[in-house]
Amino acid sequence: METQSVIQIKNLTKIYRDFWGRKKVRALNSLSLDVKKGEVFGLLGPNGSGKTTTMKLLLGLLFPTEGEITVLGKPASDVSKNEWIGYLPEESYLYRFLNAEETLDFYGRLFDMSPQQRKERSNQLLELVGLQNARKRQLKEYSKGMTRRIGLAQALINNPDLILLDEPTSGLDPLGSRDMKDLIVKLRNEGKTVVMCSHLLADVQDVCDRIAILYAGELKELGRVDDLLKEQHETELLTSKLSAEAVADVEAVLAKHNAKLLRHGHPTNSLEDLFLKTVQKSQERPGQRFVPAASEKS
Amino acid sequence: MNFDAKPFLPFSNVENGLMHWLLVFGSFTGAIFAATILIALGIYGVSGPVAVMSRVRQGLHDFVNSSPKRIWAIAWLTIMEAVRRKALLVFVVFAFLMMFAGWFLDSELRADLQVKNAVSFALTTVSWLTIPVLLLLSCWGLPEDIRVRSIHTVVTKPVRRNEIVMGRILGFASIAAGIVAMMGAIGYVWILRQVPNNASLICRVPVYGTLQFLDREGNATDKGINTGDIWEFRSYIEGGTKASAAYKFPIDAPVDRIKLESRFEAFRTHKGRMGQSVLVRYVLVNSTKDLRVPLDSFEIKEFNLNEHYLERKLSFYDETRMDKRTVDLFDDVVDQNSLTIEVQCLDAGQYLGMARPDFFIRLPDRPFAVGYFKAVLGIWLLTVFIVSTGVTSSTFVKGPVATLLTFSLLIIGQGFREFMIKLITGVQKGGGPIESWYRLVTHMNDTLELPDNIGIKIMQSIDNFMLGGLWLMQHLIPDLSSFVMSPYVANGFDVPWNVAIFRSLAITIGYLVPSLLIGYYSLTLRELEAK
Repeated sequence: METQSVIQIKNLTKIYRDFWGRKKVRALNSLSLDVKKGEVFGLLGPNGSGKTTTMKLLLGLLFPTEGEITVLGKPASDVSKNEWIGYLPEESYLYRFLNAEETLDFYGRLFDMSPQQRKERSNQLLELVGLQNARKRQLKEYSKGMTRRIGLAQALINNPDLILLDEPTSGLDPLGSRDMKDLIVKLRNEGKTVVMCSHLLADVQDVCDRIAILYAGELKELGRVDDLLKEQHETELLTSKLSAEAVADVEAVLAKHNAKLLRHGHPTNSLEDLFLKTVQKSQERPGQRFVPAASEKS
Repeated sequence: MNFDAKPFLPFSNVENGLMHWLLVFGSFTGAIFAATILIALGIYGVSGPVAVMSRVRQGLHDFVNSSPKRIWAIAWLTIMEAVRRKALLVFVVFAFLMMFAGWFLDSELRADLQVKNAVSFALTTVSWLTIPVLLLLSCWGLPEDIRVRSIHTVVTKPVRRNEIVMGRILGFASIAAGIVAMMGAIGYVWILRQVPNNASLICRVPVYGTLQFLDREGNATDKGINTGDIWEFRSYIEGGTKASAAYKFPIDAPVDRIKLESRFEAFRTHKGRMGQSVLVRYVLVNSTKDLRVPLDSFEIKEFNLNEHYLERKLSFYDETRMDKRTVDLFDDVVDQNSLTIEVQCLDAGQYLGMARPDFFIRLPDRPFAVGYFKAVLGIWLLTVFIVSTGVTSSTFVKGPVATLLTFSLLIIGQGFREFMIKLITGVQKGGGPIESWYRLVTHMNDTLELPDNIGIKIMQSIDNFMLGGLWLMQHLIPDLSSFVMSPYVANGFDVPWNVAIFRSLAITIGYLVPSLLIGYYSLTLRELEAK
């Protein structure tokens, strides 16, 4: 059985015009794609490739010049679809004069939630994004990372089925970024659909099931991340540490099968892994410090 | 007293008012709709008008399905925004003005004039402080929301665009209500402390009549005599002749006695009797029964009030019967629920000036607070009008332009609407803008005939076209003069519901409806990107 489409985009074109109606920029050109229920879908591309424009067209913030958009079975201009959508904008454009609690309460009201529901949901989300201790502070006093967290909380206030995240990890430190990615995966595991756009490729690779790569408003690649990244002409083996003789033997075996050993050495962790491991250790043993070697001191 | 309470009877004129509103609103809406259909047809073919109709249907659907909770949520946000952005600092300015105002109000004046100044000052301060604050808040709120894109987090929730407009208006109107009520209450206490010992705060309830002048031969005439006073509020009757001014008052039900109050002005052509004022007489008239009841003559108190009581039983000398006679005020004098009183000036060569509101029946007074807080209500209604116009204009233009637009509407509505009507009706001499310019350049005053040539005809045609535009404008621009109710209170009168409050309320609601429609379509049809 084919998975249900949550978003359908057909031949979508967006042209920005100036005050006099003259064409200024063709931001999107005949874009067509489907997003399936329960997947994490990534929109990738350099600045100006049309990622945010696509997102805003999906939300009805912009009107298409040509083409059709269906979100949750309804046209993008239909306000009622927003009942099941959560949106985290690129910058957290929130009301800076409200505190975190008031912010979530306000957005909860927009969904006609009862005071009790709003209170419970706010507490739950503030805990989820780690802002319980800053709930009474006005957003204008928040750091960029905290603003992103409260932005995410407001996007989830209605427990949405479809979550649109515009640059979700921008402005977050590696810990926050990891939390965000974990949360995205958690949302997917709960059966929710997530569409995110980012130019932080590592983030996309970590969490997305499928991606679309846009360039100058046109779709250049579309498919599963694994499929797109797989190098069909090479094979990767990971073994325990080998001696020089063992490496020579492996090369001999490979030569027997008309293959060559292209590269060998010790695999490295990602910088993110190292950072997270260091932070974790510091939390476990707060007194321990790094002592440079004597040669480094001089 | 320098104001005239214009009759506005909501329960008899409501149909006319509603019809006029429907005519103006309907014709403008119809014209815009027809133009939109034609443009859509021209650009997109048959699918254009279909799309327009779909938008209209969508609009109806959105208004019908508006959620009061969401509207209140937006209103709450608006209130929080104003409070957190320190709009309430206006109270500091108010407190500062109230603390030191007493120093600058003249305490050497007559007691009643001191009261008048204090009341005027308090009410004027409340309106002058509230209106600019609300004007700026309402005109800048939404454009700022669009500029910093906070609105993106609202419109991506199930919020309809009309709910945003309604919520904003409700929020600002609530802030205005809070500010005006608080300032009004402080102002009231301040006034109580300013009243001199020999004066009191009064709230008269007048019953005004209609005024008909009779000339020196006793024939009806539109106006009395113009004594050369350029201010034509009052008209004059000649003393020692048959000239009189007949006031016809409506009478609801019999009472034991009626209190009459008047404030007439005398214009003297000679010194008259030394130490004495002009002599005046009231004559009660029932023309159906051919009855004339002259009351005792009296000297008028100029620049002050003349008070008289009409008892139920009236004794007088009947000149036709040559006998003393007693009549019943309500059974004999009142004719078809109206009481006619002729005012005569008895001094030959002297003139008595009067206007419609100069003479009235005074019903039992109301507490001063009643009239005062009605005037405060009038200030709030004006702010609601400003807020709805400000929010609406801010849906399609940026803050500074919206402020200018709303402010212009306010100024024209309060001060220049009469002038516009004079221009349109030709009462104001000098022609249209081009003719005026031509007359200025060629040094021709407005009484001189223009030469009859083709150039002048073209100029006048263009002027007529522009005056046509002005005619349209005067139907769109409201008469905001009724919102200013402080003169009633300052002059010691109650603010009449029918003349001031209902009228202002009708104007506010009349403009709120199209404002909501314009605001809704403006927000719906635009992309909410701050470009």
